[in-house]
Order: sequence, then structure tokens, then C-alpha cells
Amino acid sequence: MTKVTLNVNGETRTASVPPEMTLLRLLREEFGLTGAKLGCDVGDCGACTVIVDGKTVNSCLMLAPQADGRDVLTVEGLATMERLHPIQKAFEEKGSLQCGFCGPGVIMSAKALLDENPDPSVLEIRDALAGNLCRCTGYSKMIEAIQDVARGDNRQPVGESA
Amino acid sequence: MKRRGRGIACMWYPIGFTVAANPSAAVVKINEDGTATLLTGTVETGQGSLTILAQIVAEELGIATDDVHVVSADTDTTPMDTGAIASRTTYVTGNAARLAAEKAKGILFEVAAPLLQVKADQLEVCDRKIQVKGFPQRHIDIGDVADRARGVNGQPPIGSATFNPATVALDPETGQGKPFATYVYATQIAEVDVDDETGEVEVLRIVASHDCGTPINPMLVEGQVEGGISMGVGFALEEEILFDASGRQVNSNLTNYIMPTSLDMPEVVVEIVDSYDPTGPFGAKGVGEPTCVSTAAAILNAIHDAVGVRVTSLPATAEKVYAGIKAKRAQEAKQITAG
Ligand code: FES
Ligand code: FES
Repeated sequence: MTKVTLNVNGETRTASVPPEMTLLRLLREEFGLTGAKLGCDVGDCGACTVIVDGKTVNSCLMLAPQADGRDVLTVEGLATMERLHPIQKAFEEKGSLQCGFCGPGVIMSAKALLDENPDPSVLEIRDALAGNLCRCTGYSKMIEAIQDVARGDNRQPVGESA
Repeated sequence: MKRRGRGIACMWYPIGFTVAANPSAAVVKINEDGTATLLTGTVETGQGSLTILAQIVAEELGIATDDVHVVSADTDTTPMDTGAIASRTTYVTGNAARLAAEKAKGILFEVAAPLLQVKADQLEVCDRKIQVKGFPQRHIDIGDVADRARGVNGQPPIGSATFNPATVALDPETGQGKPFATYVYATQIAEVDVDDETGEVEVLRIVASHDCGTPINPMLVEGQVEGGISMGVGFALEEEILFDASGRQVNSNLTNYIMPTSLDMPEVVVEIVDSYDPTGPFGAKGVGEPTCVSTAAAILNAIHDAVGVRVTSLPATAEKVYAGIKAKRAQEAKQITAG
């Protein structure tokens, strides 16, 4: 067993895990954070996307011990009890998701994109979502929602959420 | 060199099969606070059916969509439904929900009529009120009428209904008849670039014009069309289950079973052709499966327009398109030599 200590959504969490455990399983099974989804478990679908030290990763491809000492942000870290994150709000308003299975991953990819590039072109948005497969929507309404957030249509007072 | 082409494809699609029993049932209960509860056996899978059903009930009762509490897909409480299949939910389950709401509303009208000193058929609903047609100032809140219906008249406003598109047997000899209750229509146009040195096809734009009767929720209709087109793009260019000689799937994961990513999807323009089907709930038909019917045909016609090659098996991979281009060039060279 290996002891891992990491910062998850602003909180320090510790667990003792087998060295081969993935970050995705650590989040879901040890920490009860089931937002990141297990789609393929081999890095193809993006349903497990989380942000580690500011970069998106497929958490099914990262071992839990590799996340030791790092900052992990999952979809649970975006909304507060009072309000959704602007990206979530925009997704809700546009009807960007259907079954929703890809949603947590897509939203984390969108968050990482907008953090780095607050005014992305459509092609840059498509590029940022290219690792997140969606079977339902054709991506159109996700792209529109991300554009809305970039334009500030869903802006909220600074400091109210992640 | 990249060659541009455009292709068009049209389709019709049947809604509400009639060759076998195809019922949906619904229960609508109007509550004393003016809200309503809908019981339906159908399942929400993200397509938005429950929103549509809530909108239908709200429209029938003159209340807001948010006032309708939907209880769905629970065998303990909800009536059985033929299923969220065959693009039938808006049409068949929607009709059942509207009829159930209409029945519950009928009870309220009976209760409200003497209070407003008119006949029940002179009443209508609007903005959470029951009012006299042509005299909207003469009105009572729906919640108050519902309360009175139960507490004074002893008849709680509950309606239940079934909708089953009339079953019509097909002629056993000719196989002909009326197999569906109604039909929807669509045309899609695809614009593509085909690289004539590699056979690679890039879909640049798809314009999709769909009739679904009256669109009860245009945003959800667009969502269905956009999603259907992504399936159509996959069907046209990427998706294929491959088996080995013993029947085992050889491409059983998403690195070799290829489906469209955000970079493969073209710009999609959705146009809803507003129409009205008198047999549908508020004129609506359906939109699920029909959305991916024309896409592959439009793309393959566009490939033909671009490079003159007819691909006759799907998906039209770069390899197949390039083989077609090569064969066509060889054919042309032969004709030149022969000539
Ligand atoms: S579950 Fe990690 S990429 Fe599919
Ligand atoms: S919404 Fe169903 S997979 Fe994306």
C-alpha cells in the first residue's frame, strides 16, 4: 500500500492505496467523488477528465501515487451549494448535454481551456474538447455554451466559485 | 488537391406504429396549490421527453412547465409505457398525457362553471386561472378550484387516459396497409472537401431542415437533430464494427472503433419546418431517429459531386474513396488511349 496525500477541490485528502490504483478509482472509490466517470478506462473517451495542477488529465491513465502532493480539481469542485459554475450554467441554459455521461469531463476540459484562453475561437474550443467523446449531442450546443461563457453572457461576481 | 462538393438527401420517417398495439397511458392529478403531477411510464435518457410531456400538460392546464411534477418510469407508481423507442414518445405518450390533463381539467370546469355562472364549455385556462372565454376578468385560480373540487364537490381532479394509434392489420397478401399513424420529413445538405491524393473526406457544413409537426421545444429539437447528424457523420465516414473469422469483434474499443469527435463534426445548421399534425399533441409528431437518416446519403452524394466517385458501402473511409478515385483515373486513362 502507498500513502497518497493530495489536494482535492481545495481540501487535503489522504488515502492508503495499492500502487496500481488509478487516480480515477481513488477519486471515485476512496473519496466518493463520482463526478468523473469511468467510460473506457484506457484513455480513449475523456469521461474521467479532471484538472491536475491546471492541466486536464484522463484520470484513468494517471496512477493515484502520481497525484501525490498535487492539486486536483474535479467537477464537484466547480459549483457551490448556492450556484452553478458559469460553464455549468451555460450548459444548462443551452441544453448542451443529453444523457450527460460525458458532461463532467467536457466541463473540466472547457474549464481548463477558458482558464488558459479566456477568448477561444470555435476551432480552439473544438480542439480542447477533442478528447471528450459524446455520443448524444454532436457537440454543437457545448461549443455555443463555451462561447457564451467566454463572451461573459454567464459571468458571475468574482470569487463566488472556483 | 482538395475538391469541394455538395450533396443533398431527403427522407420520410414513420411515427406511431399501428401494426401492433402501441399504447401509452398517463395519469394527471391537479393539486390544491395549482400545480399538477404527471405519472408516465416513459423513460428520460437525456433527449428531453419528460420536459416535453411537462410542457404538454402545462399547456393543456394553463399552468407553467415548472408547475408540473413528472413521476416517470417507476413500476410501483406509473402506468406501463410501450417505451422510449421508435421516436414515439412525443406523439404517443404526449397524446396520452394531453388527454389525461384534459380529463382532469374537465372536472375543474364542472366545478368552476356554476361559480362563474356559465356553462363548462364556456371556460378556458390561462395563467394558472380558469376564466370565461372572452371575459378574462371573470376567473378563479386553478388551485382554489382544485381544492373545492375535492373538499366541496367530493371529486378530486384526476384524469387518466390511454393513447393507442388505431391498430390496422396489414393485408396478408400484399403486405400493404397503414403501418404508421403519421410521418415526418427532412432534407439535409452536406458540403465536403475531398483530398484527391488521399481520399480523406472533411465534412465542412451540414444544413438540416426537419419537419416534426409543431416543435414543442425547439431547443430540444435542435439537440436531437445535431446529435443525429453526429451519428450520421460517423455512419458515413467512420463507424464500423469489424469481426474476425470466428465472429469476434476486432475493434472493440474507441481507438479503433472510430466515432466523431468535436474536430470531426462540421458546422451544423438546423432549420425547423414548423407544421401542424392534427393527430399529435398540439400538432407535434416526433424527431428522434429521423435526424440521422439523410446524413450519410447527403455526405456520399457530396463526395460524388466533389470527385465523381460513388462509394456504395459504408463507412466511406479514405481508403475506399481513394480506391474509387484511382479506379476512375485508370478508367479515364484507358478511354483516352482507346480514343
Ligand atoms: S475512462 Fe478515462 S478516458 Fe475513458
Ligand atoms: S451527452 Fe450523452 S455522451 Fe455526451
